[in-house]
Amino acid sequence: MRRWNVFQNIVITVFAVAFAIAATSPLANAQASATVRKSTASLAKSDTVPVTTSSRLARQDYELGLSHREDLLFTEEGIEFFRKAVQADPHFALGHATLAFFTTDPSEEVRELGLVKASISHAAPDEKLLIQWMTGTKNGQLIPAIAAMNDLLAKYPNDKRLANMYGEWLLGAQQNYDQAAKVLEKILQKDPDYYPALNNLAYSYALGGRAELAPPLMDQYVAALPGQPNPQDSYAEILRMLGDFPDALDHYRTALRIAPTFFTSQVGIASTYALMGDEERARLEYLKPIDMAKERTDRMDYRILWAMTYFRENRPGLARKAFGEVAAEAHKQNLPIEEAECHRDTALFDPDPDSAMNDLDAASAVLTDKRHILSRTRDTELAKILQTRSFIAARSGNVDAARKALEELNSMAQTNRDNVVQDAYHSANGAVMFLQGDYSGAISDLEEDPRDPLSLQLLADAQSKSGQTADAQKTLATLAAINDETIEMAVVVPPVRAALKSNSSPSAQGTSH
Amino acid sequence: MIRRLQILILSLVFVACASVAFATEFAVIVHPSNAAKAMSLGDLGKILREKTMNWPNGRAITIVIRDPNSPAMKFVIEKAMGGTAEDGKAVLNEESRKPAATVIFVPTDEDIVKAVETNPTAIGIVDVYNITSGVKVIRIDDKQPFDPGYALKGH
Repeated sequence: MRRWNVFQNIVITVFAVAFAIAATSPLANAQASATVRKSTASLAKSDTVPVTTSSRLARQDYELGLSHREDLLFTEEGIEFFRKAVQADPHFALGHATLAFFTTDPSEEVRELGLVKASISHAAPDEKLLIQWMTGTKNGQLIPAIAAMNDLLAKYPNDKRLANMYGEWLLGAQQNYDQAAKVLEKILQKDPDYYPALNNLAYSYALGGRAELAPPLMDQYVAALPGQPNPQDSYAEILRMLGDFPDALDHYRTALRIAPTFFTSQVGIASTYALMGDEERARLEYLKPIDMAKERTDRMDYRILWAMTYFRENRPGLARKAFGEVAAEAHKQNLPIEEAECHRDTALFDPDPDSAMNDLDAASAVLTDKRHILSRTRDTELAKILQTRSFIAARSGNVDAARKALEELNSMAQTNRDNVVQDAYHSANGAVMFLQGDYSGAISDLEEDPRDPLSLQLLADAQSKSGQTADAQKTLATLAAINDETIEMAVVVPPVRAALKSNSSPSAQGTSH
Repeated sequence: MIRRLQILILSLVFVACASVAFATEFAVIVHPSNAAKAMSLGDLGKILREKTMNWPNGRAITIVIRDPNSPAMKFVIEKAMGGTAEDGKAVLNEESRKPAATVIFVPTDEDIVKAVETNPTAIGIVDVYNITSGVKVIRIDDKQPFDPGYALKGH
């Protein structure tokens, strides 16, 4: 396991260093695969955004970070290289910005954003634009951030990694699949074999409702990087989204054969078993990545998924106990987002609305503690808690609780433009209107959050109550087709599938709360 | 892999059998030298309907937009001009406007941005993800793209 990883790091190091010095060296040519070599060679120095650091080591580690994190999707290793880069040069502004942009650790995000400010004067003008984009996406300055990125893309039309990074952000953070596809297609027009874009474009199509376009891109991605695990991992995930669990498992296993330490494929196997209903096997499989992951946030996220299996198999007592233990561990490790998420997840599965509201109180209380997390990060989790509160209130007919949650979300949404916050606001507004009997108003707001199972469930109810039966059936079919590992899916989708199977009408108000 | 993690974090869900709508925000853009910082949706409608033909400094307004038949522009026309997209298209295509060249149709958002970057009297409407620092985004009804309740948020 470890031997493979070391070998891989050596290979990446060789061509990353070659890139940092000039272009492709004979050594890199000898060691790297043809595809990777081609991609690296095409990134001539003048084609890319400048990287300003006084340290050769910092530059080398920064490039290794990008190779791991962006090109090959070894995320933990990539982040570790960014950490080494800023250690080697504490005045490396782009290094700090990149670490802040990619880290999953909220404390590190806060710290690194502060260090960006302190070191920004060391950056070159175009580098500052990239920093402006990275930090702007974190602190809500989206309009100047987008403008900065488009300026850079115009100046560096051949910087494929830059464009891919933008496409990845549009896809993941903005959920703007059409715009992401547009950016990524442009890269592939210039270089049809640029594999990071192949991966992201496949996801853009799959998530944007053009699933039939994704498998050919995945075939191309796998062929481009035969010795890498991520193409197999991505292929598996897309197949799982499509409900093809056996083939998904095959691809995840292939990824692990290629790279036994590629723990996200191990998570994929566990979650696939969870979706298949084999929760006992899922729990066993989740234990492996919990042991393998180096980042504490990753480990905690996987523990949450492990605890969720008890809910999935309808063992609420064990589930509450498991989530309680994970929450306590998260508290001990000063991971308030994960701690709050444990309480929120417990609430979603709680059949007693009053008790569920108490769970949500506990979740909110965690976030009121003075912790080292960005206010925006805190707001995002708080928005999810408030949306959950409004959903549970709608299920139990509690107008006052729904209104209170909406008031808080409304206030938050005035200052925080994050998609999660905005979508949660619309969902809560839809819930209140639903409870007031304004079904057409509810539909309008709930349609603003078209990817969240909680909102989709309420939307189907509102459509049904307003006589839009065909639309309600379409929404339910959409819900029933969801295959992911989120708590929302686990709560909402199984009853919808069961009801559709028995031809009855599944309703949010008719289920557990 | 990367998507799986982000899906976990952002609670994205996949919809296999239905094409989901995506929300995008349309930005109203002008040249950076233009003094305008904000306008109401009604004011924008007046400009599009040629009820307002000049900026406060007296210079004629040039509208740069995409083909009114495109889905995005249909939304914008309906929202800003009121009425149906067909009515709006007819107004924008009126022969009487052409000599003054107050409306220019271009194929892409990038073309709109380029036109506005180089024309101090131009006003354009683009997907906000296509803006550059060469244009100024103006507030509509005191809100800008990504603000809650922004008028030109479409699907």
